[in-house]
Amino acid sequence: MPLVDPVTMSSSAIVKGAVAQSASTTKATSGSQGTDSTTTTMSTGASSSLATLRPVHIKQTLAAQTVRHALPAALTALYLLRFDALVADPVPVMRNALPVVAALQMTYALLCLPAAGEPASKSNRKPRPGEKKKGGDIGSSTIITALLASVLTSVVTPFLHFAMALFGAPFLTHGSHTFLCAAHLALLTFFPLFYVHGVDSAAWAAVGGFRAPLDETFGGLVGGLFGAWLGAVPIPLDWDREWQKWPVTILCGIYGGYLLGRILGGTLFWGKRF
Amino acid sequence: MLLLHVVGIAYFTSGFLLTRLMLDDKSVCDAPPTLNTSTTNGIVDILPNWKGKGTVDGGCWHPKTFERAVVVVVDALRYDFTVPVKDDAPFHNAFSFMYDTALASPNNAVLRPFIADPPTSTLQRLKGLTTGTLPTFVDVGNSFAGTAIEEDNLLMQLRDAGKRIVHLGDDTWESLFPGYFQANLSRAYDSFNVWDLHTVDNGVIEHIFPLMKRKGEWDVAIAHLLGVDHAGHRYGPDHPEMAKKLQQMNTFIKDLASNIDDDTLLIVMGDHGMDSKGDHGGESEDEVEAALWMYSPKAVFGRTKPEYVTPPAIAKTRPVNQIDLVPTLALLMGIPIPYNNLGHPIEEAFVGPHGTAWDRLAAAERMAAAGIKRYQTSYFSARGIEQATTPGSPADLWDKAEASVPKDKVKKGHSWEPVFSAYAGYQKETLDYSKSLWARFDVKNMVIGISIMASGVIALLVYINKRTEDDDVLVIEDSELDHAEKSLELQGITADEAQTLEKRLFRAAILGALPGFFGGLLQSYLSGNGDWYRGSSIGAFTSVATVLVALYDAEGAYFNVLPNTLWGWMAVVFTVSQSIGFASNSYTIWEDSIQVFLMTTFGIVTALSAFRMESLPDRYMAIYHSILFVLLGRLASFSKLCREEQMPYCTSTYYASGTSSTSAPWQLVIPFIAVMILPSIIKAYLAPSRSYEGLAPTWIGYVFRAGLFFSAIYWVLDAADNGQWLSSLSSSLSSYLPSSASEALSSLPPLPDKALKTLSVYTAQMILGLALVAGSTAFVWAPPCISIVTTALRRSPADASSNPLAAIPGAQTAQVTVLGYGNAHGARYLLLPLNFFVALSLLTKPMGAGALALTLWQSLSLLEILDLLNLPIGSNPIGPVMLALLGQNAFFKTGHQAVLSSIQWDSAFIPLYSIKYPWSPILVVLNTFAGQILATILVPMLVLWKSGPKRRGILGSVSRALAVFVAFYATEALASMMWAGHLRRHLMLYRVFSPRFMTAAVTLLVVDVVGVLVGLSGVRVNTMSVAEVFGWAD
Repeated sequence: MPLVDPVTMSSSAIVKGAVAQSASTTKATSGSQGTDSTTTTMSTGASSSLATLRPVHIKQTLAAQTVRHALPAALTALYLLRFDALVADPVPVMRNALPVVAALQMTYALLCLPAAGEPASKSNRKPRPGEKKKGGDIGSSTIITALLASVLTSVVTPFLHFAMALFGAPFLTHGSHTFLCAAHLALLTFFPLFYVHGVDSAAWAAVGGFRAPLDETFGGLVGGLFGAWLGAVPIPLDWDREWQKWPVTILCGIYGGYLLGRILGGTLFWGKRF
Repeated sequence: MLLLHVVGIAYFTSGFLLTRLMLDDKSVCDAPPTLNTSTTNGIVDILPNWKGKGTVDGGCWHPKTFERAVVVVVDALRYDFTVPVKDDAPFHNAFSFMYDTALASPNNAVLRPFIADPPTSTLQRLKGLTTGTLPTFVDVGNSFAGTAIEEDNLLMQLRDAGKRIVHLGDDTWESLFPGYFQANLSRAYDSFNVWDLHTVDNGVIEHIFPLMKRKGEWDVAIAHLLGVDHAGHRYGPDHPEMAKKLQQMNTFIKDLASNIDDDTLLIVMGDHGMDSKGDHGGESEDEVEAALWMYSPKAVFGRTKPEYVTPPAIAKTRPVNQIDLVPTLALLMGIPIPYNNLGHPIEEAFVGPHGTAWDRLAAAERMAAAGIKRYQTSYFSARGIEQATTPGSPADLWDKAEASVPKDKVKKGHSWEPVFSAYAGYQKETLDYSKSLWARFDVKNMVIGISIMASGVIALLVYINKRTEDDDVLVIEDSELDHAEKSLELQGITADEAQTLEKRLFRAAILGALPGFFGGLLQSYLSGNGDWYRGSSIGAFTSVATVLVALYDAEGAYFNVLPNTLWGWMAVVFTVSQSIGFASNSYTIWEDSIQVFLMTTFGIVTALSAFRMESLPDRYMAIYHSILFVLLGRLASFSKLCREEQMPYCTSTYYASGTSSTSAPWQLVIPFIAVMILPSIIKAYLAPSRSYEGLAPTWIGYVFRAGLFFSAIYWVLDAADNGQWLSSLSSSLSSYLPSSASEALSSLPPLPDKALKTLSVYTAQMILGLALVAGSTAFVWAPPCISIVTTALRRSPADASSNPLAAIPGAQTAQVTVLGYGNAHGARYLLLPLNFFVALSLLTKPMGAGALALTLWQSLSLLEILDLLNLPIGSNPIGPVMLALLGQNAFFKTGHQAVLSSIQWDSAFIPLYSIKYPWSPILVVLNTFAGQILATILVPMLVLWKSGPKRRGILGSVSRALAVFVAFYATEALASMMWAGHLRRHLMLYRVFSPRFMTAAVTLLVVDVVGVLVGLSGVRVNTMSVAEVFGWAD
């Protein structure tokens, strides 16, 4: 199994976190409202564990750079082309688009992103003249990583479905609508992250706490989630438009937010943290 | 602050709600309104005396035409449904009978457009159709139960004249006219089950035809069919179901008309129309244009012009005002016109079959006009307003009309047409004038009200900011100087200052208010306009101003309303987004779903931010509580009551079905589940801090549980009473048992009729007494929920307090452990909300009790989340805002909506047999705002939870938390007020914006009162009790 977590990374984070934890628990047990002291220890502990989580570089190969710019355009085009059909009948359109989006995301991950377990510095480095061929290589390990990431993505989809239901999505009806919407969200936002981080718990804790550095993958997640959240806003309005039906606006928010977050995360806000 | 809100709301209301003074005068049969004018002007009556004049038998004010009347209201019968239209729409050309008869035999039938005065909701329309006045949103003088009409009206006149009235159909009539109808013949059906198109109609049709054969038993029959309206609400007009419904109506009216005899008048009308989606309530053309059809087998009706025989093709031509039905029906039936009537007779009914009886028409018109004149005179004198007498004014037109009547003996062949026109002109002018009088918003008062509210909100925000700084200071000093004796003194000084801040503010508010109030009084006295609340408004303004100045003085002005943390931003976004949402009717209608959405957002964000915590157990606890919070919120959201506008996308689950207001049998189980698990859950929240000690096990484990159990029992008794379970049980028993046993059973004396009600009332009174009286007493006297475990030597509690940690190893003597030390304040205070919870869960229906229990559970989770994420109330407004959201959410989950019709009036009778002031209104308030009240009482928990007895400045922190909490509701009230004022011409004003404003305003007042009375005093008592044991903290 070539998918190995970057051991050094996670273990160091855990050790440091544990130190910080013990420090803060001693403070907390004193029963006082020790805000200042606790927060300082927390922040030092956090920064130390976070320093190791670096923003993801897009590979510098020609193919990667081309794909990086072409894919958002392809996703946008796909969305715009199928919009009318989506409004007319969401379920088959979302179902049919799913493999296409999956293929696009797979291409994006394989060509542009460093797979989990791959030393991050490798893609960081400027390719030497002789190494050019190797950089663009898609080894069997990366393919397995990608497959594993897609398995994880399908695992996370039911949870997203459930979360949508918690936000007020129809619980007993429209099951396939919500599920497909969740699948799109997972494929767009979670798949690249699974590909990059694997099942590295420290990295996922950072992602979960929204303190990972912004890059194309994490930016996409933030954008996608926020877009999905905002997508619920126009639903109750009594404009009687067809596109207000479930889950068109949510999907629109997901795509818009994801693309915006991915582009901004990859360029303007790259490396920044919340 | 409370007073400020009262003044602001009162001011806005005075400008906003259209009010009409209700006059109690009634018309009397033998005193026609022309009596006085005739003698003063020397005018004889237009008609020669008729036989039986001045009596019901002959006709009080006008010769009687009909003995009986059948009034059929086809709800939402729009005018174009009844006339031929050249298209294939399913709602056109399906109901042609009325048009055909009016065309074929104009002397027997009349069809005309029938224009409603907005608001076009059935309740308001029925008021208009029976009293003849213009409806206003709130008629001053409405009694507590609200709905019964007390003004003079057609049905009252009919009843007083000894007529027997039968009612079939929509039960709105029963609530408007309780006790008016012949109980043995009348059948009322539920009005609001929009999904059911047929029950009401089939019931009416089934019962009305037998009635036609039993003519001796009634004089007036009213049938109200709802199928067309419901088809409109459910499908919209453009649907095959609507066509079917209209065809059914067509057949029904045809059959009915063939069953009518010569002495009976048949009236078919729509009370309003419907818009293109099939809804109504506003003032659009489609909504106000209904149809009116009058029929009699006797040749009665005529036309003043031959071309009027054809009914108008569209509703714009020759419309009849709906209030015109009142004088028409009254004069035709020979009863007096109701006192407050503003309509005038419909000419077809009086002009005679040949269309030439102008004298009769003029007499009827003059009678109605004189009635209007009399009403106007008494209305203006009651209001103290002068009537204008300029040319063209109503008074001037009246004089002219009177002058047009010949003084002496009427010559034969005198043309009465100009006389009729003169009186008709007077009536029209008066009606227009009244409309402008009652449909006018007082923008000035509205603006003043809004600015008072706005300044109140600003003062609150500044105060919150102020306190934030103080609290930050407190917290820092608290942790740093906890062990240093010297600094403790310093700390005490700071705390003192913080305590006195409120006192200073209070003094400043009073000081500011007094001169302003008296100045205002003086000013209004001098100017003599008698506007007493001008003074209070000036008082409110000066009060806010001085408070602001005092705040500014208290410590250098540091004014930063914008938050600086994620949580602060969330609090602001939640509050502001909802407030902006009130500008849109959709967001107001779907507010309950939006609440769930916002709460879930909070839960997810806290779960995510828990990932930032380093301590793994804390992290998992925080995630667990966050997810629990969200899950419970979503679970509670399955209990809902849909408002009419949410149809058809919503299914009510609060009651057994959409049609009933009783609970389904399975819902009765919910309170029992609460009995079983809720005390254990609370115990689980108390146990980790070892606070399930002292009084807590007894109170929570037994008293609280017993209270919940009995309230569950109450609802079972109530259901048994409603469903007559006992009688059905005994009958089913006797069918199973052998004959001897059943004989024995039947020989037992039957239970008295009211036994169950008596039993349930006693149960309810006992629970309320237990929860509120005994509970509060116990709360005042209860010791803190701690217990002191000593292992060798007994020590006094005062000694224990000097040792802040749970256990101190004594040097060689003893070990003293204070269990529950860390949560001494919170655990004890929790008893108070629990007491109220018992009372509130009794007063809400079983489903609501479940929702409230979930809310309580959610609040406890919220406390844990805030504690784990280290979001002290001192610097973060999110806690009170979330609690406010929870309370608001519980309002929707306990079967309420921001509409008047969702008020559960029956809750007034839970512990009482009849309405008793002031208890009944209090009970209804407790039922309606149960969620918000519970949340308000829980606010101090935000501060007290997990805070040990050494915590200083508790009252200050609590009042800050309350201020944030109140600020949330005040902002909502302000926003809904502003939007309602801004959108005062909006279609949905009466259906959406006004009720939302009223809900927000009343909520704010309730929260203010409960917060001050229960919250702050509870904290005071709590602190004193804890301090008694541990010694004063500051």
